[in-house]
Amino acid sequence: MSLTDTTDTTQTFAISFELDLKHGPAKVWRALTDPVLLNEWLLPVVENKLELMTGAAFSFQTQAHPGWDGTVNCKMLEVDAPHKLTYAWGVPGLDTVMTFTLTPTASGTLLSIVQSGFKPDQKHNFGGARYGWKMMGEKLIAILDAT
Amino acid sequence: MDDVAACENKVFLALADPSRRAIFESLTHGEAAVKDLTARFSISQPAVSQHLAILKDAGLVHGRREGRHVYYRVEPRGLQPLVDWIAHYRVFWTAHLERLETLLEQMDE
Repeated sequence: MSLTDTTDTTQTFAISFELDLKHGPAKVWRALTDPVLLNEWLLPVVENKLELMTGAAFSFQTQAHPGWDGTVNCKMLEVDAPHKLTYAWGVPGLDTVMTFTLTPTASGTLLSIVQSGFKPDQKHNFGGARYGWKMMGEKLIAILDAT
Repeated sequence: MDDVAACENKVFLALADPSRRAIFESLTHGEAAVKDLTARFSISQPAVSQHLAILKDAGLVHGRREGRHVYYRVEPRGLQPLVDWIAHYRVFWTAHLERLETLLEQMDE
């Protein structure tokens, strides 16, 4: 495991990670963009529909919780295969941007993941969103522990 | 809504307003009274007082009375609900990226 949490601790409005992978960028790109594969590691893609086109909307679906129906609304912002993928990631109370950057290395790919733009949004219910993430995180840890 | 969520809502609502964020950021540089903040920003004194009341209710600032004035300063632990909330995302991605690594092992080239 070579996952490094590269979040700047003084910057609370972005989360970033770097993954040093021993797989080529083309393969990593597939894992990031194929709905069937996204279902395997991230979240189910609604209707398995994901267009690699700037402006295309898609959504991830997870368990519903009070205050949140479990939908993550996304919109492609930048698609540059197999180098960079950026999409808007919206849940109630939170509009952020996900950026995946793939840099080829001698042994594979350096994958950088940044979730930025954590901004308070008074239109929505923050409690519900947090509850959802907390539940999902706990469920995942349980799955990982069991495998 | 539980207490944690209610407390979080107050922090997010308080910081959603640009003027309040500016006042909060200004207070991170040191204690100030309403009159100091009124002079610093182009906002009326009643508006500054109202913003401070909301920041105070959210636990983001603390008021200290001295004579006729109340001096406000940043409450260091006030941002904790926001930090905690973002921490959940960090847990989320850490778990999912571990799964991504496992998946890549299983995928064909």
